[in-house]
Amino acid sequence: MPKGRTLEPRSKALARQETISAYLFLLPSLLFFITFVIVPMFMCIFNSFFDYTSTSFSFTGFDNYIRMWKDPVFIKALKNTVLIVIVSVPAVMIFSLWVASAIYKMNSFALSFYRCIFYLPVVTGSVAVTVVWKWMFNKYTGVFNYVLGTTGVIDQNISWLGDERFAIWCIILILFTTSIGQPIVLYVSALGNVDKTLVEAAQVDGATDMQTFWKIKWPSIMPTTLYVIVITTINSFQCFALIELLTSGGPNDSTQTIMYYIYYVVFKLDQFGYGNAMGVILAIIIAIFSAIQFKFGSQK
Amino acid sequence: MKKIISLLVAAAMCISMVACGGGEEKPSSDGGNNGSETAITLWTYPVGKFGDEATVKGFIEKFNEKHPDIKVKVEFLSYKDGDNQVTAALEAGTAPDLILEGPERLVSNWGVKGKMVDISDLWKDTKDDIDAQSTAIAAACSNNGVYYEYPFCMTTHCMAINYDVFEKADALKYLDLENRTWTTENFVKALEAVKASGLIPETGVVYCGGQGGDQGTRALVTNLYSAQFTNPEHTKYVIDEANGIKGLQLIKDLVEKGTLSYDAGIQAAEELQLFAQGTAAMSFCWNAANEANYASQVNFKPYAMAFPSDDGKPELAGGIWGFGIFDNGDQARIDASKEFIKFICDDEVQGKESVKATGFFPVKASYGNVYEGTADEERMSGYTDMMKYLGDYYNVTPNWTEQRTAWWNMLQSIFSGKSVEEATAAYTSQVNK
Repeated sequence: MPKGRTLEPRSKALARQETISAYLFLLPSLLFFITFVIVPMFMCIFNSFFDYTSTSFSFTGFDNYIRMWKDPVFIKALKNTVLIVIVSVPAVMIFSLWVASAIYKMNSFALSFYRCIFYLPVVTGSVAVTVVWKWMFNKYTGVFNYVLGTTGVIDQNISWLGDERFAIWCIILILFTTSIGQPIVLYVSALGNVDKTLVEAAQVDGATDMQTFWKIKWPSIMPTTLYVIVITTINSFQCFALIELLTSGGPNDSTQTIMYYIYYVVFKLDQFGYGNAMGVILAIIIAIFSAIQFKFGSQK
Repeated sequence: MKKIISLLVAAAMCISMVACGGGEEKPSSDGGNNGSETAITLWTYPVGKFGDEATVKGFIEKFNEKHPDIKVKVEFLSYKDGDNQVTAALEAGTAPDLILEGPERLVSNWGVKGKMVDISDLWKDTKDDIDAQSTAIAAACSNNGVYYEYPFCMTTHCMAINYDVFEKADALKYLDLENRTWTTENFVKALEAVKASGLIPETGVVYCGGQGGDQGTRALVTNLYSAQFTNPEHTKYVIDEANGIKGLQLIKDLVEKGTLSYDAGIQAAEELQLFAQGTAAMSFCWNAANEANYASQVNFKPYAMAFPSDDGKPELAGGIWGFGIFDNGDQARIDASKEFIKFICDDEVQGKESVKATGFFPVKASYGNVYEGTADEERMSGYTDMMKYLGDYYNVTPNWTEQRTAWWNMLQSIFSGKSVEEATAAYTSQVNK
């Protein structure tokens, strides 16, 4: 094949040229990614082995990691964070899927209306949303106490954010409302893209609505579900603004999360090394959760 | 051709990215010197009207009339996230030249860590004048003889009652209105009277949702039975001693009895709102500036009081505010910063105006009553009377920042059912490391 042998080097050169062009196009983003993601990540790992404060920087090996597991506040923060993830991720996923299933067949006006309604908390900004929730949870003038008080459900006002029995659930509720917007929009889109011929074929074969959903639609929207689960898990693990604005981790550390504790240790106590070590552990936990989700989510 | 275009596009993207990243204004290595001009940066916490842009820029304009060669750029911090901004700036090497706050930050937090310039020279001519007001001021602004803060105003933090409610509830008889004091016994009686009157939903709310305004709850606890918050050397927190425990136990008992409330969901700002809107009959976080700030919201007579004490001799927590200079290694900027401090604090005319802008009192005895002849004279006279109750300035004790968080966590644990002895022991073991 003399012809083939003469063309091969030319096609290789062409491929190399295209590869170089592609890398050049990627270069700016790559530089950005390396500077602001990869380098800080390695700095975080490096610093976690040091007693790093504003006045000292000495190597301490795994001391920060050992200290972490003896720190009752960190353990509490870890438990709270896992609770938030375990409750909010399935709740967000199920509710979003339910809403999307109910609205995706509506006419375009109604569909846009509902998408706007559910997406509003996402675009409003966490501070504004949180302030409104804070008013609603107010012990003295809040709408929850007013309604429950006037209907006779409670005898005396409840400090929703100041009572450790309720505070974490209030946080989960707010997190839930601010997390459902994007999954609903994604599910509406995914359900709309399910192959109609498959659905019709199943219906012709006598499948019920539930069977059609579980056998046809559910596998078709699995990639979206996987994305929703992973993103909601990561967002739930990184819950910070709500805690900072509403409870500062209290009462009695009942709303303490790892993200907030990292912030407190770094910015209030000036212990950068310890904060970095917690950041590394948080990243590992998120990676494990995400890997498990990918493992089960990508199974056919 | 395609290759060339690709290269050009990639290069353009790189350049645009670099250009976008370089947008932040940075002081030049020569301190912003442009000929004989020096540029300095001032960061202020919201100490009275020093949180108001128009006021501060007005002061800077007056300063520039005398020092046209020094340009001052001002940025305003909040108490919510100001510390984070300073911490981040210190780590990034972009700290401002000047900062306005109190000794707990300037001395205990940044000064002892070597971040600030020794400004003892500014004290040389004025220390006697400041000592004449209180020797505690110089002690608070220095550490081991090195001065990190040059102060210009101070106040005592007190509490306030809703005079109208107390009058209607016949509880004024428990107060020494002339001296603005009351005993612990009378405080308990007054709470019972106000509660029994049913005039107002809450008598008082012990807030512990965060560190905001924690000086109020500390002063309430320590004054009830004349407890000390730290040892005299300011090296150890001692609220776990008998009188501290007694004070906390009394508050816990009052809460359980229902004559006082607590709320782990609010901080001082919300408690002040409750007071201002007439939901609570007293506030534990009051001072002259708060009275001015809430004047337009209250429809009753707020009456400033010292905290109740067993012997009727209150010891109020003080606030001292002034300037510190971050050590940015540029002598020209340090010198320019000192000129600015001298103008704001010591200038014959501006010195008093600066104090008035804070709504507090001068640290210099020679300034006398700066409110004399002003519309604020009557309002401020009540607070002037309480300056004699100024107690120990313990905010310079080590681990101050950690202590603040531990304090409200301790209060939360006490109100959640933990014994006072257990909670105070946990608190002191955490902060006395």
